[in-house]
Amino acid sequence: MNDTALLVTNLLFASVRMAAPLTFAGIGESVSQTSGVLNIGVEGMMLGGAFTCFLVTTYTNSFLLGILAGMLVGLLFGTLHALICVTAKQDQTISGLAINFFVLGLTSFFFLVLFGQASTLPDIKTLPVVPLPLLSKIPILGPAFFSHDLLTYVLYIVIILTTIFLKKTDYGIQLIAVGENPMAADTSGIPVKRLRYFASMFNGLMCGLAGSYMMIVQFGFYIENITAGRGYIALAAVTLGRRNPVAIFFVSLLIGLTEGVQFTLQSLGVPIPSQVFSMMPYLVAVIVLLFSIGRSNDPSALGVPYDRQERS
Amino acid sequence: MKINRNIIHYIWPVASVLMTAILLLILIGVDLGSAFSGFFRGMFGNIYQISEVLVKTTPLLLAGLGCSIGFQCGFINLGAEGQLYMGALASSVVAIFLGHLPHLLLIPLMMVCGFLAGGLWALIPGVMKAKFGLSEVIMSLMFNYIAIQFIALAIRTWLKDPEYPFPMSQPFTESAQLPRLVPRTRLHIGFIIAIVLAALVYIFLWKTARGFQIRACGCNPRASFCVGVNVNLNIILSSLLSGGLAGFAGFVEVSGVQHKLMDGISSNYGYLAVMVSLLGSNHPLGVAIAALLLGALDIGGLSMQRSAGVPTSLTTVILGMIVIVFLLRHHFGKKEKEISHE
Repeated sequence: MNDTALLVTNLLFASVRMAAPLTFAGIGESVSQTSGVLNIGVEGMMLGGAFTCFLVTTYTNSFLLGILAGMLVGLLFGTLHALICVTAKQDQTISGLAINFFVLGLTSFFFLVLFGQASTLPDIKTLPVVPLPLLSKIPILGPAFFSHDLLTYVLYIVIILTTIFLKKTDYGIQLIAVGENPMAADTSGIPVKRLRYFASMFNGLMCGLAGSYMMIVQFGFYIENITAGRGYIALAAVTLGRRNPVAIFFVSLLIGLTEGVQFTLQSLGVPIPSQVFSMMPYLVAVIVLLFSIGRSNDPSALGVPYDRQERS
Repeated sequence: MKINRNIIHYIWPVASVLMTAILLLILIGVDLGSAFSGFFRGMFGNIYQISEVLVKTTPLLLAGLGCSIGFQCGFINLGAEGQLYMGALASSVVAIFLGHLPHLLLIPLMMVCGFLAGGLWALIPGVMKAKFGLSEVIMSLMFNYIAIQFIALAIRTWLKDPEYPFPMSQPFTESAQLPRLVPRTRLHIGFIIAIVLAALVYIFLWKTARGFQIRACGCNPRASFCVGVNVNLNIILSSLLSGGLAGFAGFVEVSGVQHKLMDGISSNYGYLAVMVSLLGSNHPLGVAIAALLLGALDIGGLSMQRSAGVPTSLTTVILGMIVIVFLLRHHFGKKEKEISHE
């Protein structure tokens, strides 16, 4: 009985670790999508954040500077995306794709130039674990959810704050209005462009944070293209969680759990190919998308650039 | 003054991309002369290099044509990568299990299977969009990863060559390989087929009624619906053709170049195809030029790595940069023209 409890706790603990970057990025993307800006560039922004965070932490030995630098790079590319999609009114999917390529190229280029000659992979310290008093004493759930590092607690706070922001504040409602009907929002005096810029930049910040989390909590080292498709899984999580921060967290937990189960099964010697598990989040996303037929709650203006002078 | 504006409009995108490249090259301290000469010699230094460029161009052209058909109809197909893999898988299965068939029977069979597999893989998001209004963007992206993992699974289990420790399929028999165009190069007949298909796509989209309907649905689905065009049917058809061409690119890659199925048969061709389609304004001729450009860029980058030790990731940076400035070029440096219109 005790062994099972320990196993469950360990699995959940690992799931939270896996889920956190997905949730950070997913929350950013859901705010962006709510305002009508689809950003496929999540992958690239996460990668850019991760690389910058790794670089700055390596050279300054400061976690805080690393995180800030990672977020700054994310912010930069989020702004670029807004510039292309909101100001220049270009196709959002292609812009995101271009950002992914651009960042993948830049990070690989600089990684090779800076660390290509090194014989050992450079690594950085990871954040220390700070168990929360009282909460971490809850059996099973306590050690799994409340015995993490500070950045994970930041995630919990971000989840709560974004939920309140989207559901309870004027700005949140305005954001939804901009995503549903930008023309009506514009007519009632809501600054459509400014809100879309804000949402896109917030997305960049969150993706940079997700990348930083991967560096200073999850991995502690960097290799080329370390995100390896996690940005796309985050997109799937946003679709599954229907742009609801809490739901995105639980979906990400589930995805993290499948990865955890995979490692456990492999260590027990159960012969299930890892590809089956890698396929899982995407398969589940597709299946849930199929179930959401007819009940889609996508913002009406998702992916559509807003032009004040154009009649709709 | 106005002419000046126009020149700036054309020059700033090229200049900014070039400046970025030069800046990065200076940053890593390589000799600019040897880097650039390596780059251009790599593109058309000798007959082998030119043939390599065309080998790279072929799948980009095919998948790019596929994407352009989708875009013309408003079907944003980001799933070319997955469709390419499925096409490669289907034609590989045919090649391996029916490898004893004669050349003239086997190759067409592989073509059809590759086309159908890619087409059907794209048909699912297509039908979902047409019938139920689901976003094809996310859907086709998810299908990419499912396809890639599915192929990875296949070549590790039921399609694996038992004689090799690496995850790959058996090598194709002679009759399952596309014939070479030029001896001692990798250039194969698939390149000619791709050019012919580009011409066919042009004729289909611009010279037939169905093609006109497809383009009309892309421009304004509601207006098309109001004049009695079956919008859903056109979306489904364009998704089938779009995926089919991407699947065909997969067939060309395994049958013409690799001669076996393995991981990473496509080096991001599916995603590059989206950009090829954009840079070529979704027109077959433009797509062909863009595919050639990207193919040359890739080979030039490889050669630059050999001659001057520049990481090939520079090519990826340049590519992303090209697309970003291409998107922004419409907005910046065109102000005067817009005002004169009003």
